[in-house]
Amino acid sequence: MISVKAQTENKLPVDDRGKLIYYELVDLKSTPKDSLKLRIVNYLKKKNSGLKFKTIVGDTSFIATGKIIISKTLLVMSHPSGEVLYNFQVEVKDGKYRFWLTDFNFIPYQRDRYGNFVPSTNVGIPLEENPGKLNASQWKEYLEQTASYAKDFGAKFKLYMASKTHVAVPVAENKVVKKTW
Amino acid sequence: MKIKFILPMLAIGFGSAAYAQETATPLQISGSVDTYFKYDFAKTGNINTSFANEQNSVSLGMIDLALKKTTGKASFVGELSFGPRGQALSLPNAAGGYDETENSFHIQNLYVNYAFSDKFSMTAGYMGTFIGYEVISPAANFNYSTSYLFSKGPFQNAGIKGTYAFSDKVSLMVGLFNEWNQYTATRGVSSIGGQLMISPVEGWTAYINGLHGLDAYGSYSTIIDLTTAYQITDKVKIGLNAADLSAGDDEFGYSGVALYPQYAFTPAVALGLRAEYFNYKGISGAPDASVTSFTLSGNIKAGGLTFIPEVRLDNDKKLYEGFVKSNLAATKTATQFSLALVYAF
Repeated sequence: MISVKAQTENKLPVDDRGKLIYYELVDLKSTPKDSLKLRIVNYLKKKNSGLKFKTIVGDTSFIATGKIIISKTLLVMSHPSGEVLYNFQVEVKDGKYRFWLTDFNFIPYQRDRYGNFVPSTNVGIPLEENPGKLNASQWKEYLEQTASYAKDFGAKFKLYMASKTHVAVPVAENKVVKKTW
Repeated sequence: MKIKFILPMLAIGFGSAAYAQETATPLQISGSVDTYFKYDFAKTGNINTSFANEQNSVSLGMIDLALKKTTGKASFVGELSFGPRGQALSLPNAAGGYDETENSFHIQNLYVNYAFSDKFSMTAGYMGTFIGYEVISPAANFNYSTSYLFSKGPFQNAGIKGTYAFSDKVSLMVGLFNEWNQYTATRGVSSIGGQLMISPVEGWTAYINGLHGLDAYGSYSTIIDLTTAYQITDKVKIGLNAADLSAGDDEFGYSGVALYPQYAFTPAVALGLRAEYFNYKGISGAPDASVTSFTLSGNIKAGGLTFIPEVRLDNDKKLYEGFVKSNLAATKTATQFSLALVYAF
């Protein structure tokens, strides 16, 4: 049982474990469970969603992991400053499904000897942790970028799940200019 | 001969990729600024490893500016530094030589990379060296002062290299390089080097490095280097660097090992020790001379800023380093503390 507090823009609520979560319950009446399951498997395994499929629990619960690149963006500059790793889970029933992103862990990046930004550690810091006064504004930015990502991810996932058939986006045809006159 | 083989391969690779669909990322701009105060208890700048050498002075490190751009499978990095740490104290200067009076700026990285596949990429240009644990940029080091192993080893290598990743846990790099720290080869492409990366468990990465060719001491030498770090828990990390440089019996050579245990009290506050043993190999029948060095550093982070208070004690039994007391009498030990500010953006 997952209970969450209000989900406001750019701020994720916490669940009953005290972990930040993005949670949605979606009704898709008249769509059988098997059809929903097929769409989820396609999304996790075939679509390039940036997710890493982990396991299926009890044939109705699907678990994957994902990564959000956090960018430091100012007026004229931008570069990755870290990544947030998260768990993604979807559960299905006849006519409805629910999904959530949670267990967000931040890994700071550091510029290496070749000028590339790389993870400075493999152990993430839970986003729920108090960063202290010195790093509060930076941490707030990580939380906001994570919330924006989760909202955008949720919208795309729901759109995919609502589509009965998934047709590839048509490639725009090159306009041919004819010189006959 | 090897270059004749590699360069056409690279040219073919670029040619065949020219029509591939390209995805460009925004231009990345990053860098760092650093400044420090150092005080040696003998009232003279005894410890002369690279950088942070000025006694009882609020001194400058450098401003470092880096650009990176990726378009499709191709990318470049251009990184320039200005200031003592990035100019006279790094080799060479803009003209390719070491001249304090004419020093202008220093190229840290200037290279182009092409990823032929997810597993294989090639890089050509002037790059931070693949040898050793510490680097020139203070933003990437835990301690502010640098080790003997860093100071005596290469800083950069100009050359061409190919890297093949067998998996996330194993990769191999092989390359051909100019002599150490030179934009232009004085005796041709003289060096061959390689790096084997292995990651036995999550959080533990080890680099086994080798470089044979013309060094900064005028010899054709071989340096073998092990650089490894293991993030044991979220609070405990340990690093190790061991290296040996040999150039024959009568040429400059050294060996050494440095251990880097670190403890993070919080994500923003950490304490780390560097314990180093460094041995100069004797030349022309002279005995070896060894130095031990212990450096205790704090890292306190606030946003992009890192404050590094540091205490360092060096012991030089054979008086090789020329440490002196405040009355200028020779001594075996040197002790200093420093306060450094490093801002990375």
